[in-house]
Amino acid sequence: MRALDPLPWPWGEEILAKLFAAKAFIRPRLLRKAVAWAGHYPLAGRSRWRLALSCCAHHGRFVARQALLGIRTPEDLRRHVILKGEAHLTAASTGAILLGFHLGPPGVAVALRAVGLPVTWMGGLRAFRTRWNAPWQPFRQASDTLTLSRSAPSPGGVLYRARRLLLDGGTLYVAAEGGGREAFRVALPGGFARIRSGWFVLRRQCGVPVLPVLTHLEGLTQVITIYPPLPPPHPDQARDLEVCRLRLAALLEDYARRFPEQCYALTFRAGATQPS
Amino acid sequence: MTVDPILERVQALVTEVAGPERAPADADPDTPLGDSGYWLDSVDVLEVILACEREFGTVFEEGADLTPETLYSARRLADLVRSKLSA
Repeated sequence: MRALDPLPWPWGEEILAKLFAAKAFIRPRLLRKAVAWAGHYPLAGRSRWRLALSCCAHHGRFVARQALLGIRTPEDLRRHVILKGEAHLTAASTGAILLGFHLGPPGVAVALRAVGLPVTWMGGLRAFRTRWNAPWQPFRQASDTLTLSRSAPSPGGVLYRARRLLLDGGTLYVAAEGGGREAFRVALPGGFARIRSGWFVLRRQCGVPVLPVLTHLEGLTQVITIYPPLPPPHPDQARDLEVCRLRLAALLEDYARRFPEQCYALTFRAGATQPS
Repeated sequence: MTVDPILERVQALVTEVAGPERAPADADPDTPLGDSGYWLDSVDVLEVILACEREFGTVFEEGADLTPETLYSARRLADLVRSKLSA
């Protein structure tokens, strides 16, 4: 990967995309898995293979995006990101939770900050990745992050900090499928999204709006879409959870239908794929 | 034996959040809140922290107060509550 970094963007990303597609032929288990996953879509013959290979190639692209391969400055990143639905966030006069998913390109919180949205990211140790060169330094220093992992100091304390941030009017970005207790699952073609409960607890504790965020690649541009907020919390927790589940399921099903090739996490994440 | 009302109440809150299934039969004030003890996850620990704030009318400082040490067991948490109340 390091050898690809000096190449002008997006050469490194293109090479990784091709390498990941080629890797599927070298490691037949990967290819079988991808083709089996593609079989959950109403496709036959070549189309099914095309989807499987496109998914592998997108996996390579996403690895490149995560590493910010060839993206030397935050400004470089900003040029490749389009943000839609920002009005939904600005309409929220209080703190807000932006709820992301492991679908599409990674590094959404970094991209959001690059386009000027002051989000505080909360999640696993390595998910908020920036570069260490001089142009990224001010960006990194200005980025407030809440690291959550079993080895991180006091995950309960981190959630407490997140709650304070929300009550003080901050915006928190958290992946719905991160760590912690499972709230519910959303069945998608060839797998399911395991939705965790941290964001749900914070939503009920703070009464702040939760805005789902989905992202996809359109060519080489990363499009990030902020959706309207989930309905306000219902007094009955079980009912509230069901309302959230239905709303998120509709969004995720729509995403999986429109961008199946970008659902690599459903294909390759351990334990994600369910036999049909 | 001297009764420590703060410790008793904190332990009761921990047991309440853990529920009967997770609370060890031989739990004592030094039983870890996390692994090998009550098995509380981050969401549970947040519930315990907020319950303590409500119960004792105190507010914790996120960085200084809520460390792995103070959140290790009911006794350590009770010590933290006591120090906040006496501050």
